[in-house]
Order: sequence, then C-alpha cells, then structure tokens
Amino acid sequence: MNFDSLSEDLRALQRRALDEVSAAPDPASLEQLQIAYLGKKGELTSVLRGIGALPAEDRPRVGAVANEVGEAVKAALADRGAELHAQVQVIRLAAEAVDVTLPGRTVARGTLHPIPETVAAIAEVFGQFGFVVYEGPEIEDDLTNFQMLNIPPDHPARDLWDTLYVDIPGHLLRTHTSPGQIRVMQETKPPIRALLPGRCFRYEAVDASHGFEFFQVEGLMVDEGTSMADLKGLLDEFAHALFGPRKTRFRPGYYPFTEPSVAFDVECVVCGGVGCPACSKTGWMTILGAGMVHPVVLQYGGIDPERYQGFAFGMGIERIANLRHAVPDVRYYLENDLRFLEQFR
Amino acid sequence: MRVPLSWLREYVDIELSPEALAERLTLLGMEVKGIEQWGADWRSVVVGELLTVEKHPYADRLHLTTVTIGSGEPLHIVCGADNIAPGQRVPVALPGAVLPGDRRIERTEKMGIASEGMLCSGNELHITTDAEGILILPPEMPLGRQLSDLYGDAVLDVDVKPNRGDALCLIGLAREVAAATGAAIRWPKIEFEETGAPVTDFLKVDVRDTALCPRFVGRWVGGAKIGPSPDWVQMRLQAAGMRPVSNVVDASNYVMLELGKPTHTFNGAAVHDGTIIVRRALPGERLETLDHVVRELTPDTLIIADPRGPIGIAGVMGGAESEITGETTEIAIESAIFDPVSIRRTGHRYALRSEASLRFEKGQEFRLARIGADRVAQLTLAWAGGSMARGRIDTAPAEPEPARLAFRPRRVSGLLGDDVPAAEQRALLQRVGIETVEAATADRIQVAAEPKPLAVAAGEDGVLVAMVPTWRRDLAIEADVAEEVARVRGYETTPAHLPDTLMPAYRPSPLSVLDTIRQTLAGAGLTEVVTHALVSSQNDARLLWPEDSSEPQLLPELAAEAGDEIVVTNPLSAQHSVLRQHLAASLLDVLSFNERQGRADVAVFEIGKRYARVEDRPREWTRLALLLSGAAAPASWNRTARPYDLDDAKGIVELLCHRLGLPAPSYVADSRGFPFHPGRALAARSEGEEEALSARLAEMHPDVITRWDLRAQRVIMAELAIRGLDAAVPARVHVEPIPRFPEVERDLAVIVTENHTAAEVEATIRRHGGSLLRGLRLFDLYRGAPLAATEKSLAYRLILGARDRTLTEAEVDAAVAQVRTGLESDIGAYLRT
Repeated sequence: MNFDSLSEDLRALQRRALDEVSAAPDPASLEQLQIAYLGKKGELTSVLRGIGALPAEDRPRVGAVANEVGEAVKAALADRGAELHAQVQVIRLAAEAVDVTLPGRTVARGTLHPIPETVAAIAEVFGQFGFVVYEGPEIEDDLTNFQMLNIPPDHPARDLWDTLYVDIPGHLLRTHTSPGQIRVMQETKPPIRALLPGRCFRYEAVDASHGFEFFQVEGLMVDEGTSMADLKGLLDEFAHALFGPRKTRFRPGYYPFTEPSVAFDVECVVCGGVGCPACSKTGWMTILGAGMVHPVVLQYGGIDPERYQGFAFGMGIERIANLRHAVPDVRYYLENDLRFLEQFR
Repeated sequence: MRVPLSWLREYVDIELSPEALAERLTLLGMEVKGIEQWGADWRSVVVGELLTVEKHPYADRLHLTTVTIGSGEPLHIVCGADNIAPGQRVPVALPGAVLPGDRRIERTEKMGIASEGMLCSGNELHITTDAEGILILPPEMPLGRQLSDLYGDAVLDVDVKPNRGDALCLIGLAREVAAATGAAIRWPKIEFEETGAPVTDFLKVDVRDTALCPRFVGRWVGGAKIGPSPDWVQMRLQAAGMRPVSNVVDASNYVMLELGKPTHTFNGAAVHDGTIIVRRALPGERLETLDHVVRELTPDTLIIADPRGPIGIAGVMGGAESEITGETTEIAIESAIFDPVSIRRTGHRYALRSEASLRFEKGQEFRLARIGADRVAQLTLAWAGGSMARGRIDTAPAEPEPARLAFRPRRVSGLLGDDVPAAEQRALLQRVGIETVEAATADRIQVAAEPKPLAVAAGEDGVLVAMVPTWRRDLAIEADVAEEVARVRGYETTPAHLPDTLMPAYRPSPLSVLDTIRQTLAGAGLTEVVTHALVSSQNDARLLWPEDSSEPQLLPELAAEAGDEIVVTNPLSAQHSVLRQHLAASLLDVLSFNERQGRADVAVFEIGKRYARVEDRPREWTRLALLLSGAAAPASWNRTARPYDLDDAKGIVELLCHRLGLPAPSYVADSRGFPFHPGRALAARSEGEEEALSARLAEMHPDVITRWDLRAQRVIMAELAIRGLDAAVPARVHVEPIPRFPEVERDLAVIVTENHTAAEVEATIRRHGGSLLRGLRLFDLYRGAPLAATEKSLAYRLILGARDRTLTEAEVDAAVAQVRTGLESDIGAYLRT
C-alpha cells in the first residue's frame, strides 16, 4: 500500500459515490448512501483504516485527499437532497391543488333590523352635536302625552292623534315620542340636547304608509337664545348626513306644542327636485315636523319660558328608512319576512 | 278643504297658475295636498244647440232631436227628457265620449232610430243633482266648445290646520292668498230688502244657557218656494265636495263654505209657537235627527227646542220634524255661536261629526253670527223667493273689538334666529290684517296663556302691540306673533346656524349596551326582528310562558313582577288587543310566517318590551328573546348540515356574558314541562359587578310546535333579562398580567353516575382545585363500554399554574390528587386511567 494507490482508491470511491448519489431516486436511498459512504462503518472510513500502513510523511497528504473526497460526497448528498426535496414538494403541491373557484365556507351572517339601525344612524348624527339619548315609557298618561303638550282635553287638535287607550285609568299608548320632552325637562336642566327614540301607537288602519305601531325619534334642545336658525342648521346637517347634499326648506306646520311650528322638507330623493309621483310633483319631501317649544310646554317641564327657549323635532323612523332604502311599504318592517330583513347587510 | 279656484276668484284676484298658487299657500302654512282637475272626466262633451225636437214615432217618452255643434252636419240624437226645446244650448256627449264613472257613449239605436250621441243631464256630468232634465246651458255658451274648457276648474285640496278654523272657508283662504300676493280681498255684498213684518212677529228666541250659546241670531223668510238652487250654485257645491239638496239648504251650505259660518234652517211652520229655546236636554228626551235615527239625549247635550221639545242638536244636526221639505214656505234661520268644547263632546257622544260641527269645534268669530244670518237670508231670498221679515233676533249684539297682543320685536327676532327690524315686522303683520301700534304702559306681554298664564311688564323700549283681528282666535301669545311674522316673511328665509352654546353633561347612551348585544348576535348569525307589542289575547293561553315570579332560578331583581295583562279598551282588532307579557309568542309567529314563505332555517332575535299592570300602574321591562330552528349550518358542498340545538342557545348566552364582562353563566335544569321540553330546559344566570343576566332557555315542547302548526322538528328559544340593557356602559375590562411562569395542563376523565350533572362535576373540581387551578374546560363526554350503563365519562382539561413560580411536578401531582379525592368523596366519581 502506498500513497498513490490509496489516493487512487479514494478517488475511485468518490467517483462511484457521486454517480450513485446523483442516481439516488428518493431521500431514503440518499440516507442509505450517506451511511454507506460516510457512516462510522462506511467505505470512506474503511479506506482510511489503511492509512496506518503508510509512511508517516504520507499520512497528512492522504488525510487531505480523504477530506476532499468526504466534502465532495457530502456536498453531492446535500445537492441531491435539495433536488429531491424540491421534486417531492412539487409533486405534493400538485396533488394538493383544488378548484379555487368553488364557493367558500359560509360564515354565519346575521342582519340587523332597519328600524333600530335607522335609530342608530340618527343618534350618531345628533350625537356629534351633543344630543344624548333618553327613553320614555310607551304606556303614557294622558297628562304627559297630551295636556302638558298644550293639548287639553276636547281640543280639536286631538283629532291629529287617534289614540289607543288601555284599561288603566288615565293611561294610553303614547301616540308620539313628544311626551319625552316633558320627561327630559323635568329630569334635567338646560342646556338640554336630548334625543328620544321609541315605539308609538295610534288607532289607525294599516296600509302601505300607516301602521298602528310605528317608531319615532324626538329631539329637544333648550337653552338661552336657542332659535329657529339653530334648528335649521342642525336639520340641514342631519339631512345631509342621511340623504347626501340636497336642498332643504322650512315651511309652516302645526303642532300645539310648538310655536312657531315647522315642516322640514328635503329635495325629493327620487327625482332630485324636478317633480315626480313620489313627491306629488312638488319636488319636495317632508321628512319631519319641528318647531320652537311652546312656552306652556316649557313651563310644564319646569323651565322659565321668559329665560329659555328651545326647539323640538319629531320624525317617523319608517319614513326615514323608506327614503334611505327605497322600502315601498311600511308593513315590511313588522312583518319580518327574512327575504326583506336579509337584504340589510 | 276642497277649494274650487273659480269660486275663490270671486273674493280675490289670482294671477298665479294653480300650481304656483298651491306652492305659495303651502309655504304660508296652508298646505295644498293636491290639485284636482274638476271636469277632467268630461271627455268629448261639447256645447250644442237644439235645432228641432220631435216626438219619437215608436216611443211616447222619447224625443228625436237634431243638434248642431257649430260645424258639420246636424246630429240626430234620441233623448228621453221633457225639458228641451229648440234654441236651447245643451251639453252633447259625442260618440266616443266618456262621462264621470267611466261611462262610454257610442252611436246607438233607440227603438229603431239611430242616435249619434247623447244630451246630458246635470247629474250625468256630476254638475247638478238633476237627473230628470237635460242641463240647459246659458245661451252665451259658444257652440262646439268642450264643456271642460268652460266649466272645468282646478280644485285645491287645502289641509287647514285645527288652529285655523278661520281659514276653513273661501273668505279665509282668500285672506291667505291676499297675504301671499298682496292682492285685496272682496267681501260678498250683503244687501236685500226686508219687505215682511218684523221678525219678532214670527220668531222668539230664549237662550237658557248663555255659556254654551253666547250668541243666537235669527232671521225669518216667509213665502219661499223650495226647489233646486241655480245650476252655478250646484256646480260650486259639487266641486267643493258638497251635495246640492235644495235652494234653502244649499244657501246654508254655501254660506258655510263661503264664510265658514255653519247655520241651520228650520221649517218655520214646524217650530211650535215660533219659539226657539236653547237649553240642555232634559233626562229622557229624544230626538229623531235628519239622518232619521232616534237619539236619546243626555242632559249635557245642548239642544235647540221649541216649547214642545227638542228640534235639533245644537251645532251638530237638525231634527227630522223641522226639516225643510218641498212644501216648506216659512224659513227660520239660526246663526249661533256655541261653546266649541260642548259641540266637540256632543259630536263624539253621538258619533255625529259634520262639516258644521267641525267648524263649531274650532271656535267661531263672534260677528259671524250676524253676518252668516244675513247672508243666508239674502241667498234664500234670491234663490227661493218670498219676503224677508224685518230685522233680526240677536241675543248678544255687542261685538268685540280687536284684542291687544303686546310683543317685543327683538324677542321675535331672537326666536327666529334672524334680525327682522321692527318696521319690517309691522309691515309683514299688516299683510295678514294685523295692525300694530306702540305699546301703552298698561300693556303686558303675554308669554304664555292658559292653562299656565305668564305675562311680563312691557318694560323695555320698542314694544309693539298687535291688534288681533277678531277672526284670528289662534293668536294669544307673543310666540304666535313670531309665527305670523315668520310665515308671512317666508319660513324658507330662515338662516341655518349651528348651535354654539354650552353642551349638556355626558350621559351614557341607553343604546350602547343594546348595540353591543345586537352586533354580537348578528355576528353570531342571528337576524334581528321587530314585532308588534300589541298581540292577541289568546297568546298567553296558547303558550303559557311562565311568569318570572314562578322561576326561583332567575335573578330576583331582574324578574318582572307578577302582574296582569294590559288590555287596549278600543282595539283595532282582536289580533292586536293586549300588550304582550313575553316576546316568545311573537318569535314563534315570525318562525311560522317565514316557514310559510318556504324558509326552514330561522335564527332570529328581538330586543323589545314586555308589559304588565302591577297594582294598577303600567310597567315595562326590556327583554332579549331569541329563537333558533332548522340548520345552524346548512348543508353545503363542503359541510354537512347541523341542526340547531340547545347548546347553540347556551353558546349564545355564554357569548353574551363574555361580551358584557360577566362570568360564565351557571345552569339549572327546569323540568316543569309544557311549554318546554321537560328534559331540555334550563335557567341560566350570571352576575357581575355591574351587569347581571338571567335567562330561560329551552327546546320547546312538541305540543308548542303543533299549536303553531310548524314544520320544524325542534325549536330552541330563550328569553333573557339583562341588567344594564336599557341604561349602562359596558363593563370595563381589567387586564390581568400575562403569566410569567409556564402553566401545566392535565387531563382528567371523570367517571360519574348519570344523576350527577356536568355543572356539579365542574363545581366539585373547582372546589377542590385550590388556587393553582387557573382554568377548566370540558373536552369530551363519553358513554358506553367499558362504562356501566348508568355511568358517563366527562373529560376535563385542567390548567394549573402559579403567579410567582413554575410549579414542580410534585405540586401538580398533589393538586390533581386533591381534585381526585374530592370527586370521590363528594360525588362518588373515579378517574379513568
């Protein structure tokens, strides 16, 4: 055994190993090759056992060759390993391919009812201007629902509210949210900015635009010097927020509990003011009633009408929701047909 | 009120188009709800002139006529009326014409002779009530012209508000037109000759209740001849929506529409002794009214009587016995002022509300009693002839002067939020007939009137006094003046200004917790519904949803007190006649409705109120109810269907507790049975520091499904009471520091006999786990071999740890051993290994 023959053996081993490695079909055979050549009992080790028979000066040279061979085989194993891994991955990923155009797994989707959602939208707008939400009872007393709102018994204006009465003396189902004005004024002091949403009742035959149960939001602001111009300013912002930039106008209205009383019109949301059947060809749609709080109402609320003045407004939620969502019939709201409700997202 | 424009023009010049006028009136507060084209339904009806009128050869009652319409060949028309003669001008419906009621006129043959159209009666055109004769037109009507061009009119439908009784008539609306356009109004000329004997020879009036009848004016026309009123009168009344009756009755109605003054005409001969007594009815008195109903009169009814008894209900309806008939010749005219409240009550009491009572209810200008009597007398004389008795009976001839209403122009500007100079305010008020003067020292400013009058001294400079016209009963306080100024100036000029005064103090919104819950539930796949608060009185009997008070497991302070159903005393229908005492039946109705629309999977919730009467006081509680039925996850290509079950409802309650910062709820079985499945119902409760929740959850009893006729196999329902639902802020989150030392998990399979509930096992583990037990979760439930038939295995994962150190193996073992011993000793459980 001499240096040359031993080193030739090592080179031959390298050639053979590299051939086999490059031909290895899978990671398992690669691992066997690794053991076969580089393991503790591998071929490289057994070749190196012959090193002891060499002269001392040749041993480092053989060692260097053996290292080179070992590195070369290791590198070949790693390359082939990476190659095989990539191949396997390609196959696996190809096998895992799906029809990505299939529909997804449906996540539960509930929807929120347009009435409370519209209340929330209105409360959001007025909330920005400092209006806080109160709630009043649905079963009201005649005093608060009518008399304190300047509608005495036997007043002709009572015809404006067909009332449902209950079997508790002096009580009725509130015909509007306006009695909440009294309750708020009695509960707190100016400055007052209050919003009162809620369910109302009237003795009214049901049709596409009326129901015996419906929802309103009442607004009230009382302070020194609060004026009709403040009312107009706020309602303009409100109309803008809910219906986009549109012309608005005030015209006289009538409520016993406001003086002056106002009807608030917005440019028709259907035709944009040109005139169409939806706005009776006027180009305008009335969206709410309002006015300056009547001095008698302020007095019943415990507020000095000589010092303070204020405004109130009241709107039908269904009316607002109808206009926002093009709902053709108020009966939809309490009918709860899922085919209607599920359209709200 | 229906306002024919041609009639309105009699009192004021109008140069605007009907549409423009409608807008001006609307902006002035007289809202025009619509414009109707009167006569739009006379199509191809033209003016013709009769050339010849001959007998029909085969039918005695028919005539053969020839008619020219000015051009073309004369038309041959067969006609059945008797009042026709050559030379008359008449309405001719040409073949192809359409008459009111969609009646089509074609070329026809009548008894063998062709008719090329039809001559029209007033009734056929809805112009007069005469159905017998042909409507004879004035001779100046141009031949061939469309009748709708000549008689057509725009009729405005004006919504006169209840406070403006003075505008519920043509004169009143003419005043408003004048205010809008600056034109002057023309009163009708009230002139006539009194050729008869003094009125007192015929009529005596004794008003015994001057509070209810402050003024009574009477007049008398003798020798009148009852018949139809002139065609133009009938036409006006028809266009205004009033049926012509006879000349005398029409005169009264005409004046009501013209001046807003309801009057009544009696057959003078039927007024016994010519004596009219105005008094309250006596007990037991009865009256047959004009509608031929015999009415029992109550003593609070103001009546018109003669010495023999009642002849009319004052201001509401006359009596049949004194009605004007074809034979009547003596006419007694009543033009009175009645107490508005009394009239309103009477109208309601007898369910008799007429055009007259509606006007009386709103209050009447005092002087109209006199003017109305004169005007009716004038028209009666003009249309029915006879002679008018001299003078009038008048129980209160003194007429009030305009009232003084002091106001501060500065305050008016302040209310409107716009600086309107005093001079401008005076000019604006003048346009609605309100003169203004400088205030006198004695004037006081009326800030509020009845029922809480408040007047302040006119201390400052510049105070003015509005001289309120006697017809404006609605102007009583300073703010009323502000409204007049604003509406004449134009509300549309109101400037927009955002409030810049102090904001109110913070107040938590009652909507915030509500919205958190709504969003959470929608996120969990439930759809929000809003149902009726008014339900059928059968609802409770059908469902027998338990009273809260019968449920000791619910948190007492959240439970609704026991109370009675609140019943609507004037319900619209039996279906909606009581206020609901729970929400459950409403949701079952929603399920039933949607099943009928073909929906099988329904998951809905509602936040609404339940109501009860407690000690004769109304009470309302806000509740959350939910209903789950059908598939929780419907079948899809990538998933099999899974039906909703009770665990879904519990999961939702647990989710809500989590969202509200409440501890996990505790559950107690409820085995009472109907309306619940006796083995699948429970009470849940959870109490935190601020919020609390208690709920009843159940799968509904199969009989409920039968009663609602549902297709669903199972229906899961829950009704929850939540403290803080109506007014609170969601509980604040207090963060626990993230554990610095690792936690250890140990799984325990606890074998226990069936009579021990999961809640019991869990409570036992927690009780014995000590402070090291930081978490506990059930992850498996097993029954079957090798367990005994009476046993079940509950597998829990325990999380153990300590804040200040890593637990040693020995510590963990000791803790688990403690749990095991506890389970053994407390509930006889053993662990599966």
